[in-house]
Amino acid sequence: MKVLSEIELDALTEVFNVGAGRAALSLSEIVGEEVLLSVPSIEILKAAEVTNRVFTLKDDKFATVSQMFTGPFTAEAVLLFNEDYALEIVRDMMGSQMSIDDLAEFEQEAMCELGNIILNACLSAMADMLKISLSSSLPTYSMSSPEEIAARLAEQGRDDNYILILHIDLVLEKHHTEGHLIFLLSSTSLSKLIAHIQQYLNTIL
Amino acid sequence: MTINISPKKILIVDDSKVSRMVIKAHILSAHTDWIILEAASGNEAIAMVDNEQPDYCTMDINMPGMLGTDAAEIILARHPGVRVVIFSANIQEAVQSRAQQLGALFVAKPVTDKSIAQAIGHFTGFKGAA
Repeated sequence: MKVLSEIELDALTEVFNVGAGRAALSLSEIVGEEVLLSVPSIEILKAAEVTNRVFTLKDDKFATVSQMFTGPFTAEAVLLFNEDYALEIVRDMMGSQMSIDDLAEFEQEAMCELGNIILNACLSAMADMLKISLSSSLPTYSMSSPEEIAARLAEQGRDDNYILILHIDLVLEKHHTEGHLIFLLSSTSLSKLIAHIQQYLNTIL
Repeated sequence: MTINISPKKILIVDDSKVSRMVIKAHILSAHTDWIILEAASGNEAIAMVDNEQPDYCTMDINMPGMLGTDAAEIILARHPGVRVVIFSANIQEAVQSRAQQLGALFVAKPVTDKSIAQAIGHFTGFKGAA
């Protein structure tokens, strides 16, 4: 089934691209180095098709920060970092005098704040472009494997539901690490998002 | 001194068709006589500038294959007279200063009336557009 037309997919990718640019700016200001962005890719899958192969992720465990965004549609935004490097990013945020051990205490709070800044930067750019208002839940932090993330996604929908997965890599060269931004929308939310994309297209074309 | 009154030629480089359409529509509404060329990648843009020698160029950065800033560098080395505006969603300081080093104007996406006005200002030489 073709969920999105070529032009809708293009517009949606571009909207996320602007959002990811804002997110990369926030992250670069936090870690003090340039963040390299990949070209966003969007996959629309049936919930039952979501497996760990969806995530072309090399690492075993991820520090994940998730936030629900609600408005005309509901989306879960997830930011993933390799577990080992999450702490280094936290150290950059908190100041480099602290030892890694001391930092562990702040890890959860700092990662939630980092996720909050980055995910809001991304989603607010999207809301502005689509002229909608989105509000966000408090961020939650967890350590997950790609299998666990896939399982959680698959749970979210019935078999006939669609899930939109947006994948953008944020590469931090100094830290030799990558972050990933993933957005999940159920088919109901997806069709509402598509309606807004169509309105956006109507205003600009 | 001769005045060149032939219509200006502008190359729009963006992997997103929607972005190209928006930029094109905004430019044509301000300058109905400009000739619009389009390219979807850095390599395509370089070849098109070599062949068509546009006056102006808008360049996206984050595209499959070559980065737009790398393509702009090659274009400006071969054709220093082309005025380039880098249109990007990647608004980090490092990216903006790279554009500046190239002698291009950096304009943040999304493409709006305001950002297009900045780009056109750079092309046609109005100060106060930066």
